[in-house]
Amino acid sequence: MKPTLPGHARPVIPRAPGARTVRRALLGALIGAAALAPEVGCVSIPAAEKQPILATHVADWRDEVIYQVLVDRFADGDVNNDYAVRSGSLARFQGGDWKGIEDHLDYFTSLGVTTLWISPVVKNIETDADVDSYHGYWAQDLTQVNPHFGDLASLRSMIAAAHNHGLKVVLDIVTNHMGQIFFYDINLNGHPDVYVSGTGSSSAVTRSSEYDPDFDPRGVQAQTSLGLDGRAPIIFINDPTINRVPPQPGILGTARAYHGLGRILNYDIPVQRLTGDFPGGLKDVATEDPEVRATMIDAYARWVELADFDGFRIDTVKHVEHEFWQEFSQGVRKRLAASGKHNFLMFGEAFDGNDELLGSYTVPGELDSVFYFSQHFQVFDDIFKNAHNPPSQHGTKQIEGLWRDREKYYAKVPQENGIGIAPTKALVNFLDNHDVSRFLFDAKGDKDALRNALTFLMAEQGIPCLYYGTEQDFAGGNDPANREVLWKTGFDTTGDTFRHFSKLARLRQGYLALRRGDTTVRWSTTHTGGEDDAGIFAFERAGGDAQDRYALIVFNTNAKKISSTTDNGTVMSVSLQGKTFVDVLDPLQPTFTSDAGGFLLVTVPAQSARILVPQDQVVTNL
Amino acid sequence: MAKTKLLLSMAILVAIPATARAQAEPPPSDAPAPPAGSPSSASGASTDAPSTAPAPPSSAVDSSRDVAPPATPPPAPPGEGAALAPPASAPSGHFEFGSYGRVRIASDGRGGTGRQANVVAHGTRIDEESYAELELRREDTFTPDIRTKVVATLALFPPFFHFSGDATQQIAMRNLFAQGTYGPWTMWVGSRMYRGDDIYLLDWWPLDNQNTVGGGAGVTLPDNDTMVQAHVGMQRLDNAYQHQDIQVVAPFGVGAQTITKLDRPRLVETLKATHFFRHVPLRGMAKAGFKVIVYGEAHELSAGTVRDTITNNEDRPVPSDSGWLVGTQLGFWTGERDTHVNLFFRHARGVAAYDPLAVPTTFANDKTTSGSTETLVAIGANYERDMFGVVAGGYLRAFRDGDPSPTSTQKYDEGTLVVRPQVYIGEHFGVAVEGSFQERRLAILDPKANAPLVASALRGGIIPYFSPSGRGTYKRPQLRIIYAVTARSDGARALYPAEDIFATRKTEHFIGLGAEWWFNSSSYP
Repeated sequence: MKPTLPGHARPVIPRAPGARTVRRALLGALIGAAALAPEVGCVSIPAAEKQPILATHVADWRDEVIYQVLVDRFADGDVNNDYAVRSGSLARFQGGDWKGIEDHLDYFTSLGVTTLWISPVVKNIETDADVDSYHGYWAQDLTQVNPHFGDLASLRSMIAAAHNHGLKVVLDIVTNHMGQIFFYDINLNGHPDVYVSGTGSSSAVTRSSEYDPDFDPRGVQAQTSLGLDGRAPIIFINDPTINRVPPQPGILGTARAYHGLGRILNYDIPVQRLTGDFPGGLKDVATEDPEVRATMIDAYARWVELADFDGFRIDTVKHVEHEFWQEFSQGVRKRLAASGKHNFLMFGEAFDGNDELLGSYTVPGELDSVFYFSQHFQVFDDIFKNAHNPPSQHGTKQIEGLWRDREKYYAKVPQENGIGIAPTKALVNFLDNHDVSRFLFDAKGDKDALRNALTFLMAEQGIPCLYYGTEQDFAGGNDPANREVLWKTGFDTTGDTFRHFSKLARLRQGYLALRRGDTTVRWSTTHTGGEDDAGIFAFERAGGDAQDRYALIVFNTNAKKISSTTDNGTVMSVSLQGKTFVDVLDPLQPTFTSDAGGFLLVTVPAQSARILVPQDQVVTNL
Repeated sequence: MAKTKLLLSMAILVAIPATARAQAEPPPSDAPAPPAGSPSSASGASTDAPSTAPAPPSSAVDSSRDVAPPATPPPAPPGEGAALAPPASAPSGHFEFGSYGRVRIASDGRGGTGRQANVVAHGTRIDEESYAELELRREDTFTPDIRTKVVATLALFPPFFHFSGDATQQIAMRNLFAQGTYGPWTMWVGSRMYRGDDIYLLDWWPLDNQNTVGGGAGVTLPDNDTMVQAHVGMQRLDNAYQHQDIQVVAPFGVGAQTITKLDRPRLVETLKATHFFRHVPLRGMAKAGFKVIVYGEAHELSAGTVRDTITNNEDRPVPSDSGWLVGTQLGFWTGERDTHVNLFFRHARGVAAYDPLAVPTTFANDKTTSGSTETLVAIGANYERDMFGVVAGGYLRAFRDGDPSPTSTQKYDEGTLVVRPQVYIGEHFGVAVEGSFQERRLAILDPKANAPLVASALRGGIIPYFSPSGRGTYKRPQLRIIYAVTARSDGARALYPAEDIFATRKTEHFIGLGAEWWFNSSSYP
């Protein structure tokens, strides 16, 4: 530093920075700026959302407890897909999504269910006649996800998370029909018309709709005031604002893919049942067409490959011909097996109480199982629901007869490359679903009847299926009242019905006999009044794939009195003699002992059941 | 973390486009809503400005943010040989007319019109839509220390009448403000394009770009090298996010009356400090200098209630929201021929990650923008020497919305790098060539790649031009012939509906004529 001259203060001249300083400042500013920046990572797709590797997640479907989820109604995990949500209007979107399911997997495990049957995932027509497609059954594009529920990534994430939680996921599919995608141009004016005629006095008021005309075996006919004009042209609608556009993929966007015969008028007439449009303008697919079949197999197998589903629940099975099911089921099994997916469950919904019809879909080459609709009507409706109405209640002899017919009408050999279980042993049992009023609605709120029915559901042979909300005592009537929003319950796990079902699930899981045992009826009755055995029904679950495991389940379906397994001096006999049984359903675990002849007297309180297990087979801490 | 930051630094320094891990899509919802009729301006205000090489020290202005120049030193007192000061001049005023504009017409070479093919928020402007501003100003000097100006700028958006045959012209008022200067202080109130330095080739102001209605003040500190500016402004966009009018029963008689149900303006406060280092003694650059800017914003929206008239006429609460933004800029200039470089860094959170002219479309589950972030680094530069010039720009930007899902079209990384060298042919002609690459990587699944969807566009172009005002990157007007070709990746095409031709065409041509001008505009000193 240069010394200052005496008497002069050194002037302070700001010195501008030099070039090196400038470069250093620039570099330092860059690095400093980057250092100040918060962590900025690349966008990435989480591993769970990428293409999954297919795997078999189920050992034995009889060990599973299915829980039916209407995705739109379970939980809203992402507000950003709440398009057109109208809260409180059950015929409209409510906002539930796959993220919501993923966020509440612990709820399912607490309840004790092991498989989630989720409503269809494909893109739908948004809305029709002021009702939204929240249910997913109005397909428009079988290749794309429904954005109301999330994207492919969130679907995969949910399924992967479910699998990690020990849960399986079954996909609901529809092959019978697509959404309200075209109209029949009956009057040849190129415009969809709805007309009302009649005066109401001299003539009946009738309503005709080109969206949904009556069935005509010739095909819906065009006509004007001058008469018939041949088949009415099928005109696809193109309204992108509600996604009412020609369907995908491929052939499904052409008239050739549809029967074009109009709406079913009489479900008992086979040709109408198989080829008519579903009410509400849902267009019946020509499933006999080879290209249509190939498209359906490809479309739905692809979803399994995309997201690693574990099974299909198939809608409207009885509206599609058997030949289709043979080709479809075998084609899907073969394709999925090649990708490493085995034990893939396919069960169908045939809304019919006729066992012969139901069983026809389980013949070799077709489906692994069907919903046990006949049991729904004859057991849960006629017996359990009517507990509050004794004159209407049927005797439990009806159950025995039903189960005897099961052996007669349903296949007794497993499907080749199927789930390895005969359909007779793998029928899907259910109390109610989205298409019928809830159990509690019909039972006038009788929760004892509900819990008794749930015990039956979980103790009997087959695969139990619980409709969401049952555990929360939902009591909605018919559609859409039976499609309530679940998240308003706060996912409460403390209610009596929730805890009862959870216990039943633990018992079922703990006792092999309840899952895999063969069934032998030990007591049934026609009595529903004041008789000793009024309402009693008892059956054993033992043998078969349960080996030496045993359970005896005794029901009292009578709402008024304690009943017992005796009538006019005759006492129920069981297959284990001199055995002490413990009621593992009752927290007090009372015991009952059969005598040397195998006779066993069991008393059961009104609308209750006992699950009796040999004392030496009792599992603690369930 | 260190690795990421070093990568960012290196990317800026070497400007390698491949490091821009970014994607593109049609006008993103996070970007400011484009002025109506100007779809190419999805990145922000559709006006552009020359890259603002800082003005000579005697008028240390910063783009449109006029701050008073240093005060004239007082005359020496008598008795020291100084002449008597001349008498103060009388107040004076005058009108000014200025304009910024660009007009272009182009073909896609396939019978259609030339269409902008950017896939990022701030893509290149070689194929930018037309736009114009007409500005009228009144400037008055009352005393040497007190001056005012009143600025009115009309913006015109395409399509123009001669193209569409539609006489309805979309007009917006971009500037309508009054500004007063008192000594070192400047104050203003009104509607204003209030912004800093841009990157010309991207038509973008990376650090600060307020299209605001409000007021501000600024002061030049006594060192004459430091400016501090602050502003507060407000916007209330006319959509259900901020504003709703509904019909209600009139209080008297029959019928309905309109009331405001939702009144939720976004309040924005900004603070900016600039320091100049002048006459940096670099070899051969006597007039070189640089500046450092530190900048911040705060955004607030109040809670409110909106009526859901589309679905069920239910009143829904809208929660309050807020956000903040910090940024910095380092600028360097040689003082010769507009040669300069500006480096920008910015980070924003919450609603500040969204331009005030943009409406968030995705939210956290509490219906706020909580969790939204934007981080960017950018560079703009110009170099001119003799018969040669090159102007360039680039950026890296990461945007994340508040959507709880890890996949969202509003989660992406993107970037652009564009270089436009030119050769001047004589004093009034030139040929520029441009090369650019832009990419956006979105957090949505590309099922084919089983990875994030990557949309990119590689572009090249040539622009011969006539520049009547002379040689230089920022000399205007300029009359141009434009040809550009853009190669669009599979991911870029996947962003369009299947029925849009952009979903199928891999290559886009742009063959056109264009003109650009600016003069005497308060936005572009």
